[in-house]
Amino acid sequence: MTTPPPGRFDYIEADPSLGPASALPYAPIALQFGGREIRVSALVDSGATLNVLPYDVGLQLGAVWERQTVPVRLGGNIADSEARAIVVLGRIGRFAPVRLAFAWTRSNRVPVILGQTNFFMEFDIRFCRSQLFFEIKPREKLGG
Amino acid sequence: MTLSELLPALHELPRAEKLRAIQLLAADVAREEGDEVMASEGSYPIWSPYDAFEGAATLMRVLDEEHAA
Repeated sequence: MTTPPPGRFDYIEADPSLGPASALPYAPIALQFGGREIRVSALVDSGATLNVLPYDVGLQLGAVWERQTVPVRLGGNIADSEARAIVVLGRIGRFAPVRLAFAWTRSNRVPVILGQTNFFMEFDIRFCRSQLFFEIKPREKLGG
Repeated sequence: MTLSELLPALHELPRAEKLRAIQLLAADVAREEGDEVMASEGSYPIWSPYDAFEGAATLMRVLDEEHAA
C-alpha cells in the first residue's frame, strides 16, 4: 500500500499589517455530521490537547447542543466555557475522511482547533514555519 | 521631510508620545530587517486548551464507544 504524498499548506497571516509575525498554520478541512458538510479553516495546533469546535460551527453542522450529552473539560483561556463531545467526519484535501472527536464549546471566541486528540493521532504533520508552510499526511498504519 | 525638520516637533511631544514614537520606529526598523516582531500594543490571543488531558481522555472514550457501537 503506497502512502499518499503529503498535502502542503501555506501559513495564513491573521493580520496583514503585522506580516509574518501573525502567520498561523490554518488548514482547510471539510467537516461532515448527520449528512451535512461544511468547509472551514482550522488552526493546526500542536499545543492543544484536543480538537475544539466553536459553538456556531457546530450549529452550522446541524448539531443540537441538548443531544450531545458527554461533558468535556477544557483548559487554556477557554477553560471557563462549557463543552460537550461530538464526533464528526473530517476530510483534508484528497485524503480519506477520518473520525474526529471535538470538544464542542459554547464559546465562539475560538477558531476550529485541530489538536493532539485526535487530529495528531490521525495525521502526521511537519511544520516549516521559517518557510511559512506545513505538510499534512495520514498516519501510517502499523503492521501494514 | 528630513530629520532636522522633524526633531523640533518630536521634542515638543509629551513623554508618553515620545516613548510611543520610539517603539514604532524600533518596530519599523526591525520589520525592515526581516525580524518577526511583536507589536507593543498588538493582541496575541492564545486559544490552546494546553492542559485539557481529562477532556482528551473523554474524547478518546467517546470515539471508542462510537466505534464499538
